[in-house]
Amino acid sequence: MAENNKSKTATSTKKDAPILVQIGIYATVLFISWLISEFVAKTFPKFPLPTPVIGLVLLYLALTFKIIKVEWVDSFGSFMISLIGFLFVPSGIQLAGTLGILQNEGWKLVIVIILSTIVLLVVVAYTARLFIWIRVHWFHGDATVNQDDQK
Amino acid sequence: MSVSILAAAAAPVIKGPLAYFATPFFGIFLSIAVYLLGQWLFKKFNGFFLFQPLFVGMVLGIIVLVIMAKMLGMDTAKFYTTAYKPGGDIIFWFLNPATIAFAVPLYKRNDIVKKFWLEILLSLIVGAFVSLFVIFGISKLFGLSNVGIASMLPQAATTAIALPISTAVGGNAAVTAMACILNAVIIYALGGWLVKVFRLNSDPIGTGLGLGTSGHTVGSAFALQLGSVQGSMAAIAVVIISIVIDIVVPIFAALVGLG
Repeated sequence: MAENNKSKTATSTKKDAPILVQIGIYATVLFISWLISEFVAKTFPKFPLPTPVIGLVLLYLALTFKIIKVEWVDSFGSFMISLIGFLFVPSGIQLAGTLGILQNEGWKLVIVIILSTIVLLVVVAYTARLFIWIRVHWFHGDATVNQDDQK
Repeated sequence: MSVSILAAAAAPVIKGPLAYFATPFFGIFLSIAVYLLGQWLFKKFNGFFLFQPLFVGMVLGIIVLVIMAKMLGMDTAKFYTTAYKPGGDIIFWFLNPATIAFAVPLYKRNDIVKKFWLEILLSLIVGAFVSLFVIFGISKLFGLSNVGIASMLPQAATTAIALPISTAVGGNAAVTAMACILNAVIIYALGGWLVKVFRLNSDPIGTGLGLGTSGHTVGSAFALQLGSVQGSMAAIAVVIISIVIDIVVPIFAALVGLG
């Protein structure tokens, strides 16, 4: 099947699958993920695993183990990712329904959330930098990153 | 005619002018209208960060709903639920395929995953613990209540995981939901500036992991714009940090005496 599809950056010259077939694959993965998610929710109610998280892992595994070829899911996936800003608008507007909670602790919450966002970004980024530094300087590992599309 | 049929199916007792808004049509129209307006403003003002389309869309959408609710003499939350939510939910559903689509950029950089899996895993576990301490400290500094603090802790996880954990450690799920949403909006609006200010550019792996952790799926979309390594690392961070938070936050909350 796709044994020769090993190119790292997968600049596939192969033809994309028809868009409806691609949508079909996404729908299949999502449906299976939803079933698993329901099963996990019933079996381990304290350990929630949402459908999209399971779906991301399943699709990744299916690609890695060559069950699905990348050109079967690539162009529809890029299209969906390009829409994410828009798809998130309803989540943002959802806050209109909960404006009441701001009255309790006021804008303190918003400031803490802004600071927390920056903390998460910076702490994780610098932690990764530290571990990569350790890899290079303590274990003399190779840390070169082949990045052909840095902007 | 079809409007009234749909409205009747969704909520049988809606009468008066509200009936015209109680179908998915209005929510979908409003979402796309405010977002496109945001895109236009963003272009017009040369990418000024406050005119980020997502941010503009969110703020304008809320303002429109608040004003319309006032005009109809209704509570904003109730107007949101009857008028906006039916359409909003349809758009929201499409975040499911959009999220799993991140498997593709992740797969394309499998070389990075195979080479750095240990660093990725350690960074996210240690980074999560350190961040929890800092977020806890900031929350204390601002004098948040215990409920407020507990609501702040799980925000690095994806919403569907963060909400039940928030409740489990004594937080308010609505506040946590707000945090998860604002995380994404903030990263989308300020990500470029933050990457510059904290000089993250030189290290694509850390930048990607950080953007995925702080900005969730939206952060991953932003990371993908920076490069394929950043994008794939953000995608893997979304999955792993959610599981890490799932396990670590209840332990942390017990440690600091919350929940």
